[in-house]
Amino acid sequence: MKRAEVIFTFARYEIKRAIARKKVLALVAFTILLTILPYYALSQTGTSIITAADAPYVNPYLWVLAVILVGPLFLNFTAILIAAGSMSEEYEQGTAELLLSKPVRRSDYITGKFLGGYILFLFILVLTLVLSIASAFTFFGVQKDLYLIPGLFVAQAFSSLLFFSLAFMLGELIRRSSLAYIFSSAIFFSSFIISLFLSAIFRFTGKVVYKTVQMYLPTSAAGSLPVQYALPRLPSTLSTVLTFVSTSTTPASTISFSIEILLVYTIVAIAIAAAYFLHADISRKLS
Amino acid sequence: MEAVTAESSAVIEFNEAVKDYGGNRRIGPVNLKIGKGEIVGFLGPNGSGKTTCIRLILGLIRSSSGTVKVNGFDPIANHVEALRHVAYSPELPNIQTFLSPRELLNLISHELYFPDNADRRSEIDQVIELVGLHDYAETKVGKLSKGMIQRLSVAQALVGSPKTLILDEPMIGLDPAGVAHFRDVFRDFASHGKGTVFMSSHIMSEVESLCTSVAMIHHGKILFKGSADEVVGKVLDYSLVELETTPLSPQTIQQLKEIPGITQINIADSGKKDTTAIEITVGEHDQDIRPLIADIVVKSGAKLYTIKQGENMLERAYIEALKEKKGGQL
Repeated sequence: MKRAEVIFTFARYEIKRAIARKKVLALVAFTILLTILPYYALSQTGTSIITAADAPYVNPYLWVLAVILVGPLFLNFTAILIAAGSMSEEYEQGTAELLLSKPVRRSDYITGKFLGGYILFLFILVLTLVLSIASAFTFFGVQKDLYLIPGLFVAQAFSSLLFFSLAFMLGELIRRSSLAYIFSSAIFFSSFIISLFLSAIFRFTGKVVYKTVQMYLPTSAAGSLPVQYALPRLPSTLSTVLTFVSTSTTPASTISFSIEILLVYTIVAIAIAAAYFLHADISRKLS
Repeated sequence: MEAVTAESSAVIEFNEAVKDYGGNRRIGPVNLKIGKGEIVGFLGPNGSGKTTCIRLILGLIRSSSGTVKVNGFDPIANHVEALRHVAYSPELPNIQTFLSPRELLNLISHELYFPDNADRRSEIDQVIELVGLHDYAETKVGKLSKGMIQRLSVAQALVGSPKTLILDEPMIGLDPAGVAHFRDVFRDFASHGKGTVFMSSHIMSEVESLCTSVAMIHHGKILFKGSADEVVGKVLDYSLVELETTPLSPQTIQQLKEIPGITQINIADSGKKDTTAIEITVGEHDQDIRPLIADIVVKSGAKLYTIKQGENMLERAYIEALKEKKGGQL
C-alpha cells in the first residue's frame, strides 16, 4: 500500500512537472486545432467528398473521422512528446538526483514517472475524442453509434502505448531530451514513410513479403487497432470517406495480431528502460 | 540482510571503494569510516572525488570495486534500508522550479511515506521556520534567491527527522547570519551524539569551528581522517602565535627570538595607528608559550592589545598537505 502511494506521488509529480513545462498547454492548443479545423474544412468543402445522396448515411458518423485522422499522427506524436522528456529532462535539470537520494526504490520512481506521463496522454486522448464529437455535432448534426467511443478510447490508448514506451525508453537511454525527441520522432516518421513505400511496392508488385514487412513496422501496429475495431461496426457507406481521409490502409491482418505486435514493442521498450534505469548510474546535471 | 551491529557502528563505511569513470578518471580506493554522532568535514580540492564519494553514499552511482555501506547496507542493493534515516542537501541544488518550498517539502514527505496528517504539516511548518523560509513558503523556487534555495536544500534534508545528514557545501550562498544560524542548526542536530553529519566544504573556518573530525581527500584517495587538531599536528610542524602591540623595540624582538621554540617572527602593519601585528612561528606546536611572550612584551613597556593562537591552522594544514602530496606522501 505504501509503495502504491509513493508511485502515485511520483505520478502526480510527473503530471505537475509536465504541466509546468507548458507542454500540456501546447498540446491542448494543438488538440483543439486538429479536432475543430478538419470538421470546419469538411463542412465548407464536404459536398465534393460526401454527396448529397450519401450525406444522411455519412454525416451522423463523422465524429469518427478525427479519431482516424488524428489518432495515427497526432496522438502518437503527442505520446512521443510527453514520454521522451519524462526521464531525460530530469537528468538535464539535475532534479532526479534530489528525489533519488531519498530512501525510495528506483522501480517506484520510474513506474510513477511512466504512469504520470501516460495519464497525461490519456487526458489529451479524452480531449481529442470529446472535441471530435463536439465538432462533428456542431458542423454535421446529431452523431450516431457513440457507444463505440469507449472501445475506440481503449484501442487508441493501447496503440499509443507503443510509441509512448519507445520514446520513454529512448529518453532514459539517451538522457538528453532533444535527442530523445529527435530519435523517437525519426523512428515514428521513418516507420510511417517506409510503411507507405512498402504498401505502394506491394500494390505494384503483388509480392507478399513487402506487406509482411509493413505489418511488423511500429506505425502499422500503432495505427491499425482503432480502425480495425471501428470499421466493422460502422456502416459500409463510411468506408469511402475513411479510405479517403486515412493516411494509410490498415496493414495488420487481425486485431489479435495488432495487439501482439503492440505488446512486443511495448514490453521490450519498457523492459529496456527499466533495466537500464535500475542498473545505470544516475547522471549529474548536464552543463 | 546485513545491518549495523554493535561491533560495526559505522554509519558510513568505504572499504577499498573505487569508482572508475573510464579513461584516466578514477576515484579511490577510498577507505573511510564515519561513526555515529560524528560531525565530519570532508575536505579536498575541486575534482578530488568529494562529490563522487557523496554520490556513492547516496546510491546514485555504483562503485566499480570495493564496497560502500550506509547503516550497514549497500546503498544500491538495499537503497531504502541504507538511506532510511539519511538525508542529503546538495550543493547548488537543482530543485524543481515549478514547486514552492512547501510543495517540495510535501513531495519529499510523501516520498518518505509520511501520512498526510496534522503531524506532517506541523513538521513542515517547523522546518520552514527553522531554515528561515517562512516568508517564502509559497513562492515558486524559480523566483527564490540563491541563498533561499540553499536554505530550502537544507530544509528538504531535515524533513522526516533524519539521523544522518550528508551536506554538500551547505553554507554556499548564505549571508553571514544564515551561516551562523545553520552552524547552530547542524551543531544542535549532532549534539549529544544523536545525529551524524558528513559535510563537504571549502570553507575551512566553518569546518574548523563546526566539525569534530576532518577527512581530507586528494586525487580520489583519503589522505587523512582525524580531529582538526590531529590533522594540523600531523601536517604542520609548527604553530603560530599572533599578537597586536604598540611598536616593539629591537631589543624586545631579540628577547622574543630567544624564547626556546620560536623559529620566526614576522612584523607587519596592523592597519591601525601605532599598532603592530606580529606573527610568531613556534617550532614545537604542542607547547603554549603565550604567557612568556606576553610577559616580555608587557615588561618592555609596550602595550599588548591581543595575543592568541594562530587562526586558520586547518587551512594552512590543508594547503600544506596538498603541496606535500605533490612532492611525496603525507
